[in-house]
Amino acid sequence: MSTVNTWTSTQHFWLIILGFFVAFLPRFIPLMLFTKREIPEWFNEWMKFVPVSLFTALVVKDVFIDSKSYQLMFTQVPEMLAAVIVIIIAYRTRSMAISVITGLIGVFLLSMVI
Amino acid sequence: MNKRRPNPKRVPDPNEPLWRSTLRVAMPLNLSYIPIGLACGILLHAAGFNTLLTGLVSLLIFSGGAQFLIATMLTINSPLLSIVLMLFFLELRYALLSSSLSPYLKGQSNRFLFIFAISLNDENYAINYLKFATDKKWTGKEALMVEHYSLLFWAMSNVIGSLIGSALKIDLGIVNFALTALFLYMIVMQIKNRLTVVICLISGVLAAVCMMLTKSTLGLVISTIISSLIGFGLETTLRKRLPDSHWLWKLRGPGAKQSAVESSDEK
Repeated sequence: MSTVNTWTSTQHFWLIILGFFVAFLPRFIPLMLFTKREIPEWFNEWMKFVPVSLFTALVVKDVFIDSKSYQLMFTQVPEMLAAVIVIIIAYRTRSMAISVITGLIGVFLLSMVI
Repeated sequence: MNKRRPNPKRVPDPNEPLWRSTLRVAMPLNLSYIPIGLACGILLHAAGFNTLLTGLVSLLIFSGGAQFLIATMLTINSPLLSIVLMLFFLELRYALLSSSLSPYLKGQSNRFLFIFAISLNDENYAINYLKFATDKKWTGKEALMVEHYSLLFWAMSNVIGSLIGSALKIDLGIVNFALTALFLYMIVMQIKNRLTVVICLISGVLAAVCMMLTKSTLGLVISTIISSLIGFGLETTLRKRLPDSHWLWKLRGPGAKQSAVESSDEK
C-alpha cells in the first residue's frame, strides 16, 4: 500500500473530472426521470432492498476479497473480529460515530495482538 | 482525543431556525465523517494527491467509497481508464438511491435536482430517506441543507487528513477499516425484519461469488441487483401467501426473542 504513484497533478485533475461525470450522472438521471413521471409500486418495493444488499457486498469485498487478485481470503482476522464488534456496538448504541471509532480502535488493537 | 457526545435529547423548539434544526439532524453524520474523512485524506495523500486536489475530489465526487477506491487503485498503478470504469460501476448504485428518493422530490425545478444530485451520497441519503419517510414536514429544502452540511464536514476532514498525512506516518490498512465500519453500521440500521438478515447473508455470498467470477467490482453491481431482486421476490411472496409469517416480524431493540422462528402452520 505504500508505493508512491508516479502520476502528475494534471493527471490527477483529469481523473477527478472524469470521476465527477461517472459519479454525477447515475445520481442525476434517475432523479430527473422519476420526479417527472410516476414510479411503479413494485420498483419502490424492490429499491427497499438495494441499500442493504449493496452495503453487505461492500463489506464482504473489504473483509474477504483480496483487492488485487479478487480471490476469497480468510486471513484478515483482526478485521473479521472488529467487524463483529462493530455490528454489536451499532446494534446496541445505534450511533454512527461510536461504531466507526470503536471499529478503528478495535482493528488497531487486534492487529497488534494477532 | 476530543470526546464527542451524542446530541442531548431535547423537545423540538418550534421557533428554532431552520439552519439549526437541520444541523441537528445532520450532526451525528457530520461527526462520523470526521474520522472517515481524515482517513480518506491520509490515503489520498499517500496515493500522491496534493491537498488542493484532495479538496477538489471530495467536493466533486463526494463519495467515501469512490475516494477510497481511487486511493487504492492509484497505489497499485492502475491505468486511468480502468479507474474511471471502476468508479462508474461503484457509483452506479446511486441510480438506485436517487430513484428511491424521487417520490419525495416531485415538482422540484431541474436546477434544484441538479444541485441535489451533486451532493447526494450514501450517508446523507440514509438520513434523508428516513426523514422523508417519517417526517411529514421534511422537504427538499431541508434535505439539501443536510447534504450541504455533510459535504462541508467531509471536504474539511479530507483536507485536514491530507495535511496530517504529509506530517505523520500512519498505518493505512487500519485507516481503511473506517469505511468498512461505516457500511456495517448502515447495514445494522437497515435491518427491519428477519427477512432482511436473510437477504444480507444471500447478498454476502453472492457478492463474493460475483467478484471472484468477474475479477472486478462489477461483481458488486451484479450481486446487488440479484440479491435485491431476491429480497423483493421473497417479500412479495411472503406477504401474499403467509402474511403472518415470522420472517416479516419486526426486529425490535436488543433482546428480541429467538424462539419465535418456528412458524405456526397456516394455509
